[in-house]
Amino acid sequence: MKRREFIKKTAIGGAALSVPFILPSGRLFASSGSRMADHVVFVAFAGGVRQQESVLQQYLDGSQDYPSAGNIMYNLLDGSVPTDKLVYGTNNANNENIPIPKLLSQTLQQQGTLFREVNASTVGHYAGVNTLLTGNYMYSQGLRAKPLMPTIFEYLRRHTGEKATKCWFVGNGIGNSIPLLDYSEHDNYGSQYGANFLAPTITFGEDGEKHLKNAKIYHPDDELDPMYKMKYFLDNVWYSQGNALPSIGNTVEEKAEIKQFVKDMFVKKENGTIAFPPTAANNDGQTIGYACEVMKRFKPTLTVVYLSNVDGCHSNFTSYLQSLHSADHAVGHLWDYIQNNIPGMAGNTSIIIAPEHGRNLEPNNIKDANAFFGYDHSDSNARRIFNLMAGPGIDSNLTIGSETNGVGDIVNITPTIAEILGFKQEVINSGYVYNNNSFFDLI
Amino acid sequence: MNTHILIKKMKKLLYILSVFLILSSCKKDDVYELNEVNATSYNANKDKLKSSNQFISILYANLFQEALSANELFEISRCIQSIGDKEVAHEIVFSNFMNKNGVIIPSDSLMRDNLDLFIEDTYKRFFVRDITEAEREFFISFFESHPNVSAEMVYMAFALSNEYQYY
Repeated sequence: MKRREFIKKTAIGGAALSVPFILPSGRLFASSGSRMADHVVFVAFAGGVRQQESVLQQYLDGSQDYPSAGNIMYNLLDGSVPTDKLVYGTNNANNENIPIPKLLSQTLQQQGTLFREVNASTVGHYAGVNTLLTGNYMYSQGLRAKPLMPTIFEYLRRHTGEKATKCWFVGNGIGNSIPLLDYSEHDNYGSQYGANFLAPTITFGEDGEKHLKNAKIYHPDDELDPMYKMKYFLDNVWYSQGNALPSIGNTVEEKAEIKQFVKDMFVKKENGTIAFPPTAANNDGQTIGYACEVMKRFKPTLTVVYLSNVDGCHSNFTSYLQSLHSADHAVGHLWDYIQNNIPGMAGNTSIIIAPEHGRNLEPNNIKDANAFFGYDHSDSNARRIFNLMAGPGIDSNLTIGSETNGVGDIVNITPTIAEILGFKQEVINSGYVYNNNSFFDLI
Repeated sequence: MNTHILIKKMKKLLYILSVFLILSSCKKDDVYELNEVNATSYNANKDKLKSSNQFISILYANLFQEALSANELFEISRCIQSIGDKEVAHEIVFSNFMNKNGVIIPSDSLMRDNLDLFIEDTYKRFFVRDITEAEREFFISFFESHPNVSAEMVYMAFALSNEYQYY
């Protein structure tokens, strides 16, 4: 080969190698970090949880001045159960309160790392979940408005090019503006990088039975294709007027998959085969069951599940204890289901569990049927939460921090998810997170 | 001034006046022999996004020619909020409507009998405006090349279109 030809070919080859990857998102480069796991499940647990009844395991001793302490979250945390005045289980036919049997042979605390005392500076549900998902305290953020800063969904999709159906946000209901958290209104991110939101207790509940179940599934080639062609023409004409609606960018195929999923869930519900936890009495349990189905069908890279039943604590402390116990059971089931029923995610998924905020130290004046006082979320005790995480590459049986030595902040969660999925540097480079540290940086 | 000169000037003035009157009285109006048409503007001045409740109740009234009850409106609105991709949510809700009794929609044979009239009426029914010639040409040609396209499919496309979300 002649020298000139060699140089020419080497230059072309070098240029070809250095050509950036063009991702579906339009981004030029793939994420820079390596992944610790290919899937992350983040459970926003579970509507405002006091440290006293969770990691501190004080049960009634820390809330109602009744000397009975113990652990009612024994799938997540180590510790012996209360033995006196059991009200946190479910009532049987004889009206005896029976705790839900333990599901996991090893607690998630043993399988992973627990940050016992973490700061959460926002103490409202929407603001709290907003902070969990954006990694930023947005003190000027209004309710009933999209997040001002990018969400973890948008970081993931923009910086790694993930499809919309690889990113799910499954919420218990549509209250507290929760559906708005699927994407932000940030100029550099936005709807095209959003998550698929689903509130399954409504979609597949009474309202859905009435207005969604009987939906037609149009034939993809004979009916949907011409229908979409006409819609495309109409939208193009309208777009020439400068009006476009936000879209999270599901492709035609992804939309078809979601519609089929909805149809199939109604059939599974009728057949009693939804992957509910063994005890799924409340909406949190139902939500977890459908989240399991979402994961089995779509194998998302990121799934966020929002549980909220413990919010009943404002007026019914007994129900709060029961919901906390049920949420522990539901999350245990979620983890167990991933490991034993979703081969594509087993052994390759990390789980992160954190409340969006805590609850007050002092009770309010509302008593429930057991004469237990309720707790709101407005004082400094409501700023105390925990963070638990487990999965590939995460230290097992490790506990960080204590009641007198807090380590970590709620805003560390977004960088933690990004680190597990290999795009933490991109999140930091964006400059939109409150703190660049992940929980791994704090170990 | 003598009388002769005065008469001469008067004659000249009368002559000029008569020429002016003849010219101005013979102006002919242009007649194109076309009917006058009162067309609504191209986008019918739509610049406001319908709220979810407005959208559902307007669509329901359009399809069923009757009002949706407040309870049903509330339930359907919750269903739509429960699914993040609004296009998917709307498609499921609308196709559920199409499966109900009472949808007022032209038969396919009626549609095919007079495609021109069908598409004109559809534009007025959904978009509250007249069709443009470019739009007419697209749809007539589309219907002719897709003989299996039904009136329901056309209605679904219009109901799902972005323009229908505005008023």
